[in-house]
Amino acid sequence: MGRRTAVVMALLLGAAGGASFGHGVWIYAKGRLAQVLLLRAWASALGGAERPAPWPWADTWPVARLRAPRLGVDEIVLAGASGRTMAFGPGHLDGSAPVGAEGNCVLTGHRDTHFAFLERLRPGDALVVEIPSGKAVCYTVTRTMVLDENDVEVMGESPGRLLTLLTCYPFHALVPGGPGRYAVVAVAPPSRGER
Amino acid sequence: MFSKAATTVRGILILVGVAVLATPLGARERCVDSLGPTLKLSEAEGGGLLLKTGQPGLYVRAPELEADVDITVRGVVARTRVSQRFSNPSDEWVEAVYVFPLPEGCAVDTLRMKIGERIIEGQIKERGEARRIFVKAKKAGKRTALLEQERPNMFTTSVANIGPRDAVQVTIEYQQLLVPEDGRFELRFPTVVGPRYLPGVETERSLEGAGWGAPTTAVPDGDRITPPVVPPGGPVVNPLSLTVELDAGAPLGELISAYHAVQISRGEGSSYVISLDAGTVPADRDFVLRWVPRTGEKPTVAAFSEELNGQTYVVLMAMPPQAGGQAARLPREAVFVIDTSGSMHGTSIGQARNALLFALDRLQPADTFNIVAFNSRSWTLFPEVRPASSSNVEEARRWVRGLRAQGGTEMMGALRLALGDQDDVEDRVRQVVFLTDGCVGNEQQLFSFIRENLGASRLFTVGIGSAPNSHFMERAARFGRGTFTYIGSTNEVEEKMRALFTRLESPVLTGLQVDWGGQEAEMWPARIPDLYLGQPLVLTARLGSPPASVGIRGRAGGEAWHLELPVAAPEKGTGLHRLWARRKIASLMDGLAAGVPREEVRNRVVEVALAHHLVSRFTSLVAVDVTPVRPEGAGLHRGAVPTNLPHGWDYKHVFGKVPQTATPGGLLLLVGLMLLLLAVAVLRFGPGAA
Repeated sequence: MGRRTAVVMALLLGAAGGASFGHGVWIYAKGRLAQVLLLRAWASALGGAERPAPWPWADTWPVARLRAPRLGVDEIVLAGASGRTMAFGPGHLDGSAPVGAEGNCVLTGHRDTHFAFLERLRPGDALVVEIPSGKAVCYTVTRTMVLDENDVEVMGESPGRLLTLLTCYPFHALVPGGPGRYAVVAVAPPSRGER
Repeated sequence: MFSKAATTVRGILILVGVAVLATPLGARERCVDSLGPTLKLSEAEGGGLLLKTGQPGLYVRAPELEADVDITVRGVVARTRVSQRFSNPSDEWVEAVYVFPLPEGCAVDTLRMKIGERIIEGQIKERGEARRIFVKAKKAGKRTALLEQERPNMFTTSVANIGPRDAVQVTIEYQQLLVPEDGRFELRFPTVVGPRYLPGVETERSLEGAGWGAPTTAVPDGDRITPPVVPPGGPVVNPLSLTVELDAGAPLGELISAYHAVQISRGEGSSYVISLDAGTVPADRDFVLRWVPRTGEKPTVAAFSEELNGQTYVVLMAMPPQAGGQAARLPREAVFVIDTSGSMHGTSIGQARNALLFALDRLQPADTFNIVAFNSRSWTLFPEVRPASSSNVEEARRWVRGLRAQGGTEMMGALRLALGDQDDVEDRVRQVVFLTDGCVGNEQQLFSFIRENLGASRLFTVGIGSAPNSHFMERAARFGRGTFTYIGSTNEVEEKMRALFTRLESPVLTGLQVDWGGQEAEMWPARIPDLYLGQPLVLTARLGSPPASVGIRGRAGGEAWHLELPVAAPEKGTGLHRLWARRKIASLMDGLAAGVPREEVRNRVVEVALAHHLVSRFTSLVAVDVTPVRPEGAGLHRGAVPTNLPHGWDYKHVFGKVPQTATPGGLLLLVGLMLLLLAVAVLRFGPGAA
């Protein structure tokens, strides 16, 4: 009798634990897998395709390829900064300047997946952004800062060519949803002869 | 043996329950779209507005609205007709959902749907029943309109089965009582619901909500009260035209439109006709008209009565004589509360700061004071109240000038700081002055808190900005036994704050009681609130026959006071019974904050509202056309009518949040591992293990 209930309990606990663990694994795996599919979509974007869908039911598309050469980071950036987009890759905030253009271009990503590398970026690091025209823009990190979720000025318009990478802070907090944010600001030299 | 097994089983069940609860399986990757989650600008078609539909990735053109407002004022009663013309620019069949404001305290009694030349009258029904009738007609493909109340100053019109590129017109009518303050009348017509802050933890969306917000634990209808807002760079929507025909019964000494350019012409007799100079204006701020009857012609008593079904409804307004004159000014403990949330960013915070600086100047050295500021959190200037010495006031001035507006509107924390832990202040008057736009969704929760924690304090609300939440301002002041004031532009700050302070410093009429010439009367509100300087006494009652005179007694500054008002020949009024019923409903609804069971309040409200054909929280108007128009097989898309951001607001500071960017992945892995370990432990060391 006692043994049987213990087994039942162990099974229930095991099922709940397995489901939770599996869900966690899926979140990280999804982020990696998607980037593989996204590379293919990016190739067709470079080939001139307008808004290539990385998979048939996607409501987003690749807008840029972001590289941090010192850290060996290479990721495809998606249109829109919604939670659904960010599950697959960093997102470009609607309404902020287009990638590589004049103004403040804002990219957001999860602190524990695609944008975990923000913690290791230092002022002076290079960030290379490739846009669908094939052109690459090189930004230099000028500063990093810790913010509150309400400090919306960081997403505001700005003169010059700015790239602002945003993620949550602290990086290794276990529970998501806190008010802390982390920003990396990078600057590109003024664009020449392309208007 | 058996009981031991039962205990073990129960223990296991509890353990598993806890384990399952602790598993954040329900945790989603939270998504905070930073640019209005339901609405986007179309890149083609000249920048029209597109709405998300139920199907991911599918957008339709948002329904469009034009409103025409016609207000008729007769003495102290105003009757308003609002025509809303919904047009559907898309190629689909559409249900348009429009969330809009009306004045606090208005009695909505009419809904008409106009199709071609046919007019369909709306019927008053219990809320659930009205919705069922509407849904049934909608599914049958008939044109149908539903008017529901979300708050006493916020309503929703739903119009179903508007054909592709077609339009349907709906007309709403209401009655309201105009109460003069300091001899001045003010008519306020709000035109847009400012985006509301929704405190609490998000819960599941309902099927009825069409807003950008989600229901929360504190605001269960968060998805109903948050109409989508046109993002920056989008078109100006919802053009509004407005006409007022004003007959105050006497020539006017002053007539001003506060925030809109108007044309004024004389009508018949003592009437005036006021219309918008620009013809139409965007629905993005309150329309406010103020007038003062010419000096010497101010009646001290106005009485109106109406006979209906053998009963007499009386509305009586009287100006009490100036009581007590200059009573000795008691020292005051003043607590100022200033809203520095994102919705205040722009012109509002400037008005609030100036109002607060003015208030600081009015403090006397014998007074004590403190300031509470709040957004997502609350903080105070001083740890506790301090004397209003020149150095303390100077420090306060610097602090106020440095306040910036951003973040959420967690009002409860601020009220806790202002009303919680009150010291015994017998030798002084404790007054809380609350400066805010009131743009929150949890009004009821706040009213309960104010009611329970007011103590000896008095709460005065100052509504700031172009589209304040009048329901919050007026009811919070009512529960706080104080008054409300509105400041809608920077040049009003001084005048309005001076009037408020004159009130704060004058004696109050308390303990008011009414004798209706010996008659039994059902009067609402049943208890008359205290009256401040310049406020008239307003009574609505139902009795057997018109009273010959009314006796009023009370106390002012410690002295007993009595007034006998002759009401020999009350003027005939129309629709007074609705004003009485509307006040009765408001009083019954106040019971919710006082802990009266919801079912009981609901039953009583439904009874009054049905009898007087009034929209309330629990009753709605519904109109249904006879013949189906939508072809079978054609789908119906539900779309909210987009609204403008109130004038002077900043989109980014309301909807902007640096996006949420963490997955619960790590947490899920950890909890999963712990549960698996626990399972192993149970097998290894649990009952029956070898």
